[in-house]
Amino acid sequence: MSEQDGYNLRLYIAGQTPKSIAAIANLNRLCEKHLAGRYNIEVIDLMKDPALAQRDQIVAIPTLIRQLPEPLKRIIGDLSNAEKVLVGLDIRPT
Amino acid sequence: MSDPTSSKPMARPSEAEETIQAIHQGNVDALVVNGPAGPQIVMLQNAEQPYRVLVERMSDGALTLGADDRILYANQRLADLSDVPVDALIGRSFASLFDSLDLTGAENGEATARLKNGVGGTPVSVWISSIFIGGVAAKLVTITDQTVQERIEAVVSAERFSRSILEQSTEAIIVLGSDGRITHASLVAEEIAVRPPIGARFSEAFRVVGKDFPVAERLDLMLATKPFHGVEVTMQNGSRRPRAFLLSAGQLLDETKSAIGSIVTLTDITARKQAEERQRVLVAELNHRVKNILAVVQAISAQTVRTSPSLPSYNTTFAGRVQALAVAHDILTRTQWSGIGLNELLQNVLSPYFGASQDHRIKLSGPPVLLPARTVVPLSMAMHELATNASKYGALSCPQGSVHVDWNVARNGTTLVDVCWAEKDGPRLAAGKFGGFGTTLIRRVVGHDLGGTVELDFASNGLRSLLKFPLTAHGELNDLIGGAQHS
Repeated sequence: MSEQDGYNLRLYIAGQTPKSIAAIANLNRLCEKHLAGRYNIEVIDLMKDPALAQRDQIVAIPTLIRQLPEPLKRIIGDLSNAEKVLVGLDIRPT
Repeated sequence: MSDPTSSKPMARPSEAEETIQAIHQGNVDALVVNGPAGPQIVMLQNAEQPYRVLVERMSDGALTLGADDRILYANQRLADLSDVPVDALIGRSFASLFDSLDLTGAENGEATARLKNGVGGTPVSVWISSIFIGGVAAKLVTITDQTVQERIEAVVSAERFSRSILEQSTEAIIVLGSDGRITHASLVAEEIAVRPPIGARFSEAFRVVGKDFPVAERLDLMLATKPFHGVEVTMQNGSRRPRAFLLSAGQLLDETKSAIGSIVTLTDITARKQAEERQRVLVAELNHRVKNILAVVQAISAQTVRTSPSLPSYNTTFAGRVQALAVAHDILTRTQWSGIGLNELLQNVLSPYFGASQDHRIKLSGPPVLLPARTVVPLSMAMHELATNASKYGALSCPQGSVHVDWNVARNGTTLVDVCWAEKDGPRLAAGKFGGFGTTLIRRVVGHDLGGTVELDFASNGLRSLLKFPLTAHGELNDLIGGAQHS
């Protein structure tokens, strides 16, 4: 996967909260369905290191950041609304 | 908690809006806030979720008011009470919920008000408590439906009323449920039950005896289905004597007139039955005694006629004897046929001869003796004959004469009473003067009616008569009778 056509995603969660767990599951399912082989997910648990929130100006958890492709986009919530996630991240289904 | 949206300028306004919207819609469960030691994670949902569930499920209406008394939050119960959806309640003024609102006493206490709704308003009680949410003054309010409370109180009151009736009732009252099992029982019912009645079938808790009564299964079925009134039954409770009851049963109806069980009452008629039996025995006994008395009067009349020289003599003698009989019956009636002391009997029978001028002429002495009722008439008749004879021919017929009646009790297997009638200083009396019906009557009543013997001794200084007879019952009633000291 090259960085030009791939999706580099960063998911901020807070331990095992229900929304965090739901967000991880929803994101994995969406990516497998629409970005198979074209994505990379980094899950960051702010319970372990809250200071990491500053990097992407995170105020609410869970929050998904699309680092690549640019521009940077963010989706707040548990990602249960698939359509909103696809539109928000500007994902073009394969 | 500080406002997360103001902790750091957002990159774009749309992102800030998106964050607020996500928080508002409950799509996030944690926030990052900047504390003194850097960013910190604050949980949103986990902390308050149990309370939110409790508040949503509570039976009272609950709401939160902001500083301007507008509703920030309302639970579903309040929406139900006011007939306004939760969404429409948010933002409304608190006062607009009520027809009239006087919150005096509501702050940390309770006030009453009338909540507006589609059914003409509901009486409610309002409780308010002031709190601070994130440093902002707010109020927590609960609203309790008083109609429900009043209904509960009415039900409780009705139940208390029913229990009170059951507990105070002097009759046994048993309530059977639709399954034929006992749901309520009065205290009296519990006393006559052979086991704790609640939960049992009637036939299990109450032992109805009597050959004419149905077997247990039929009795239970009968009580559950067939109204009846005043069936006489006998009930047995353990080793106690059987008692008589009137058994009645009727259906227990609910407000729609549907049968939901039956009510059984048991009225204890044991005392009434005993009184009826006593009455029956008394009437039979009275009948028997009246016949006896008439036979005695008839015999006295016939004998008096035979031995009287003239009609005036007959009249006097017969009237005296009937009078003696009447005195004896007065004694029996007064003592309710329970017997009388010998001393008291003699004073009654001889009272005509204790005249003012003859105060000291009759002396009575002897130990206390309780005569059984059956001896009263014969002994009275014998004493009357002796006294009449003495007043006509013996010691009481002259001024200086006197009579001494003394008695003793001898116990030798049976109890024997000796009564000695001794006349003194009277005219010499020939046996012939006293040999008529008087002597016959004395011998007959002492021999036949008292089962004793009589000795008559016409001594020169006056008649001595010794009567001996057994007592089938005797008593020494010192308090009631006392020894005779009358003179």
